[in-house]
Amino acid sequence: MNNKINLLIAVILFISASQIRGQEWIAPADKASVSNPSEYNLANVKKGKEIYQKNCKSCHGDAGKYNALPLVPVPPDVASEIMHSNTEGGLFHKITAGKGGMPQFETTLSEDDRWRLVNYIMNYNPNVEPVLVEAPPVKAKIMASVNEVNKQVEVFAEFDNNGTFEKLADAEVIVSAKKTFGNLVIGKALTDENGRALFTIPESHIGDEEGYVKLVVALGEGYEVAALDLKSAKVGKLKEIPKLIKGGEILWSTNENIQPWLLFSYLGAVGGAWLAIGYIIFLIFRIRKYSKL
Amino acid sequence: MKRIESADESRKLLDKITFDLTRSIVKKDELTYFWFFILIMFVGVGLWGWGIQINDGLGVTGMRDYVSWGMYIANFVFFVAISLIGFLLSSALHLLKIHWAKPISRVAEQVAIAGVALAGLIIVMDMGRPERLLNVFLHGRFASPIIWDVTVVTTYLTISVLLFYIPLIPDLALLRDRLGDEVPKWKITLYTILALGWKGNPMQYKTVYHAMRVLMLLIIPVGLSIHTVTSWLFAATLRSGWDTTILGPYFVAGAFVAGSAAVIMLMYAYRVRYGLKDYFEDIHFDYMGKLLVFVCLVYLYFNVNEFLVPGYKMKSAEGVHLKNLFAGSFSVMFWVVQVFGLILPLVLLLIKYFRKPLPITIISFFVLISSWFKRYLIVVPTMEHPFLPVQNVPENFHTYVPTSIEIMITLFSFFAALTIISVLAKLFPVITIWEYAEDKGIDKKYLSEKPRN
Ligand code: HEC
Repeated sequence: MNNKINLLIAVILFISASQIRGQEWIAPADKASVSNPSEYNLANVKKGKEIYQKNCKSCHGDAGKYNALPLVPVPPDVASEIMHSNTEGGLFHKITAGKGGMPQFETTLSEDDRWRLVNYIMNYNPNVEPVLVEAPPVKAKIMASVNEVNKQVEVFAEFDNNGTFEKLADAEVIVSAKKTFGNLVIGKALTDENGRALFTIPESHIGDEEGYVKLVVALGEGYEVAALDLKSAKVGKLKEIPKLIKGGEILWSTNENIQPWLLFSYLGAVGGAWLAIGYIIFLIFRIRKYSKL
Repeated sequence: MKRIESADESRKLLDKITFDLTRSIVKKDELTYFWFFILIMFVGVGLWGWGIQINDGLGVTGMRDYVSWGMYIANFVFFVAISLIGFLLSSALHLLKIHWAKPISRVAEQVAIAGVALAGLIIVMDMGRPERLLNVFLHGRFASPIIWDVTVVTTYLTISVLLFYIPLIPDLALLRDRLGDEVPKWKITLYTILALGWKGNPMQYKTVYHAMRVLMLLIIPVGLSIHTVTSWLFAATLRSGWDTTILGPYFVAGAFVAGSAAVIMLMYAYRVRYGLKDYFEDIHFDYMGKLLVFVCLVYLYFNVNEFLVPGYKMKSAEGVHLKNLFAGSFSVMFWVVQVFGLILPLVLLLIKYFRKPLPITIISFFVLISSWFKRYLIVVPTMEHPFLPVQNVPENFHTYVPTSIEIMITLFSFFAALTIISVLAKLFPVITIWEYAEDKGIDKKYLSEKPRN
């Protein structure tokens, strides 16, 4: 009797434990109680944000926008309740150790950086005074031109100051190349006091077979402006066509590139077989004719 | 070959042979209707399933991004495989002058026609947009094994139909002349048209022999190609489990195993249903058993090569694949298939008792079912293990489980194949009467005689 009750309790415990495991992720108490050694200030949060954009955003999405990748389980948003049910030590532990779809960052980010990430997440904690407040985006305008000889892009940016556009200084300009599957960021520049930024395309950037690159210019975060698509410009290195495709040495290819021997073998075999079939059909007619003998 | 000199005796024997061998055409009882009812019902249900699939798209199947070849392709390979027996029994053995195989060649041709016709149909059923089929011919790449496969399947189907038809011409004339009220009028009309006004003169016989010989020679390279090219659909990729040089002969050997089993089962069905004990004799089953042992041995040899060599090296991706087959999620299916579909039949059929009609038919049943699952094992596990990690996809993309629609359509293919075979058996003799009569020593001149009554 006693045994049965014990077994029942064990089963119930096991089931509830596995349920918890399936639902939430709990950091061990000793890790959760570790306190944050780095200071919660604007510099650290900003740095944390930078690291977050590079390493975490692809899965977790933008803070407060709940646009995470639809993984199972879904990576919680930085501003979400799940995130902030963690202590700072707990967050640090989870970033360090990872679990399932969440990679470990112990070997890829320094301890300082991981604590900065915690500071960045804490910026969105409802009980913490935010130090990094994102202002509503400012309307802006960009103009750009390309100098093919110097391989330079010149950008002018202006912002909307209550109805009049004025020069936009110290704004981040992002120059990318349009590729088949999205934009490839080539580099960034800052505008000067005249709202002007000059960006030199690196020598190593590869264009199409003739060196053309479709450049796209955009402003960094905080500005409301559509990315500017520029005309194709000859600013890249020539793309080399892999020899394999040009030369036709491979069997698996299009009809234009087909190896003659392969085509002839195929047509020869098929033609031969169907000629023989045609001959049989002819014989069938012959049999019919012979019945009149 | 003995000759019967007496005209009376010849006529009597020919009458008996004709009577026995046309029983399948004449016989019509409840069972016939019931059988056709079952066939048509299953075919109907399958077509209904296909309708759903065309309407809703391939999403109704279990195939997803990673496993994009599932049960349909396994089934396709299976049907190509069983169709290959046509070329072994009705051509290769004929040309080698192996006599006992003669009465079986019709049965083998029936299996070949049904198999290759269904193989073609299954591929269309695996297409998401079957109405674009013509594009394969308009825009196909000559360098693609898929084009080769489409070509060779059509060619083999044509040759198989011709090889079924040509030896039948004298028989069609016989049926035209001898069958009367016991068959519906349209059948007589059909025989009359197909018999091409056959008179049975020496020139006609000579042409028939000549045409048969050409076809038998032609079907050998085409038959070998059909399954070799099917294997290249797999072997021309870099995937683990498929990227091997022996896949062509491996497929061909496996095909003979499956096809022999199918033919044995069909022989038994005809023997029992149409009372053809004296035609599909015990000796034929015995020989077919020995043939099955032989092809099983060849297949076993290829299996050992196919698994031992990569298994010895266990290269990373290949190792994952093999572990999955030997001890992983597919291991039960794998070992059941190897034991019940290859090793056990091979051992049992060495014993004379098991080569008797009923035991060998039961064994063949297991061989045939196993060979279907064997094709499944060739297609699906490899698809489940791509080289790049499967990530950022829903759980049900990881493994493949066929849906009820796929099972419906696969069942359809079986019943459609049986329908083709049943219709052929209902229309034409299951053994060529004239060849059989000639073997028994009846002179050809009696064949074209009008019956006396
Ligand atoms: C490959 C996608 C991916 C990346 C990149 C990623 N995460 Fe995660 N993260 C996840 C997933 C999935 C979970 C949910 C894990 C679970 O609950 O099992 C998660 C959970 C977490 C949690 C725990 C939330 C909780 O349940 O308490 C934290 C904290 C976290 N991530 C922080 C980060 C940080 C910081 C980074 C960047 C350094 C990052 N993640 C990068 C996928 C990712």
